[in-house]
Amino acid sequence: MRLDSARADRITAIVLVALGLTMLWAGYTMDRLEIRRIHPSSIPGLLPMILGGGMAICAVFLYLGARDPDDPPPDASWRTMLLAGAWSAAFALLLVGTLPFYVATAIYVAGFVMIFDTDMAPLKRAVAACIFGILAAGIIGALFRYAFLVRLP
Amino acid sequence: MTGLANFAAAIWDLATFTTLFHVTWATLLGIFVGSLPGLTATMGVALLTTLTYTMDRDAAILVLLCMYVGAIYGGSRSAILLNIPGTPASAATALDGYPLAQQGRAGYAMGLATAGSALGTLIGIILLVLLAPPLAEAALRFGSYEFFWLALFGVVISGQLTGGGSPLKGYISGMLGLMIAMVGSDGIHSHIRLTGGWDQLNGGIGLIPAMVGAFGFAEVLSVMWQAVPQMANSTAKGPGLPSLIDLWRYRITIVRSGIIGTLVGIIPGVGEDIGAWASYAAARRKSPEREMFGKGSTEGLTAAETGNSAVVPGALIPALTLAIPGSAPAAVLIAALFIHGIRPGPMIMIEQPTFIYSVAAMMVFATIAIGVFGVALTPLFIQVLKIPRAWLMPVVFVLCVIGPYALTQRIFDIWIMVAFGVIGFLMRQMKYPVAPLVLGIILGDLLDKSLRRGLILSDGDVTAFFTRPISLGFAIVIALSILLSIGPVRRVIAAKNPFASKAKP
Repeated sequence: MRLDSARADRITAIVLVALGLTMLWAGYTMDRLEIRRIHPSSIPGLLPMILGGGMAICAVFLYLGARDPDDPPPDASWRTMLLAGAWSAAFALLLVGTLPFYVATAIYVAGFVMIFDTDMAPLKRAVAACIFGILAAGIIGALFRYAFLVRLP
Repeated sequence: MTGLANFAAAIWDLATFTTLFHVTWATLLGIFVGSLPGLTATMGVALLTTLTYTMDRDAAILVLLCMYVGAIYGGSRSAILLNIPGTPASAATALDGYPLAQQGRAGYAMGLATAGSALGTLIGIILLVLLAPPLAEAALRFGSYEFFWLALFGVVISGQLTGGGSPLKGYISGMLGLMIAMVGSDGIHSHIRLTGGWDQLNGGIGLIPAMVGAFGFAEVLSVMWQAVPQMANSTAKGPGLPSLIDLWRYRITIVRSGIIGTLVGIIPGVGEDIGAWASYAAARRKSPEREMFGKGSTEGLTAAETGNSAVVPGALIPALTLAIPGSAPAAVLIAALFIHGIRPGPMIMIEQPTFIYSVAAMMVFATIAIGVFGVALTPLFIQVLKIPRAWLMPVVFVLCVIGPYALTQRIFDIWIMVAFGVIGFLMRQMKYPVAPLVLGIILGDLLDKSLRRGLILSDGDVTAFFTRPISLGFAIVIALSILLSIGPVRRVIAAKNPFASKAKP
């Protein structure tokens, strides 16, 4: 899967045209603050309108100029990236704020090592990951809590 | 002479044990961050900004500058040993550094990179001391019209120079940044715009969460996406440090690369990678051994490292005097300066007349530190490169989460960080540069306020934006830049260029 292909550029261009036109419309319909008797040239929607129009024009050029890249696809793993992204997002959006920060961090770090460090034997990996997770959570949490006086989530 | 005397006085004032302590740990941390693929200078400075929140002003700025200088230098380690630039700034370094390592000259290459980085930073510091005060004085004459064009100039030039083969993608990235900056309370009438009813967006989208996401989480995703890099086999072999004769041989390359790097740094939002490539290209054009470039040329390596390091002080020139960052890490530094009560911009020489010299002096200490640690701790940094990504990346991501939260204590900023991480990753995959996006977020407010204030002053007359000499100059440069970035226009001009046709045999 390549995200710099001509097809991807065309789809992006369509999204950007929609975004630009939405911004143009939002700027045009934005409150002009007549009740506050502001100068008509200083309405809050002025620059959003200009940017929306500009973005739509650029997106049209992007659509017309889309072409496939010449270089070969890089040696990469989408599966690893998606798994890492999903696990990290779950930590940031679900675990933090729900569980105490130390617990959430220890689970996340230990889980990450267990999932992605495939060089070690399973049992050894699990033990090492748990120890590392607890240590990382303790050190980072204590650093922010006691050295930088941050109230942890 | 007053400037140089102030500079000397600033160095003397900073020569304390506390300064040396901060310089030591922050530079080492910077080299560590820069060495590891996946940790960039921008991310390092952004994360450290959250840690310096409780420090006193001068110590905080010193620590951030040492991180910046150290990280840009540190990128050369992995570029030479792994063929993977630790930071984008070291991409040109890898071209000649890695072949040198494969030939068994890794130690020599790292010594040369250290010397080039130190000398490049020093050249940049001298130009910072000489150029920043007069630029700040000139900027005092700027009004709304000039600031409008300056903000637009920054976004357009950054988009064009970082867009690579497609300036259009650079422009789109910059425009996206400007659109993001429109969210929240507007700077003139305090009217809440484009928040979609989300109260948390009333104050706008925070720069630090956005940058930590775009440069931190996006890097974590990129590192996990890429294949695991292989270290060059012959890292431990080869002669040690470069001799003074080697450096003297490349004296013209060093000075030229230092000046090019600094000038690239002054251009808004362009950054260290372009500085390195521009210096590398100039060195290749002038070199008698240009066929060696890309195959292990010591001159090419010197040019790239001198060029990228000289961008650091260069990027601070517009950051301090105009509040317009010359690079992405400088953008974070501007945010950090505001957090610590310093207002960068044309008034800096009036409100804080010695601050620019203090910054230059701090960078001298950071340069000495990279010289010392770069040479003395090479074996340690080779070990650092062996840390598996599965162990490093979760720690980095935890810092990305807690860092933005520490500044505002809002869970919402963690969501912003995650959203910008995904956006940053997708932009990289789709070959959109991220630097113009960041510059757009920073300059959006200035562009908006200057446009509307200018129109109020001229009672809605748009021609007022073209009648003052500096404004007109900026307008012409912007128009020409956009025109020249259009493919067919460029081809027509190239076809009619008499010098180009004469050059052909």
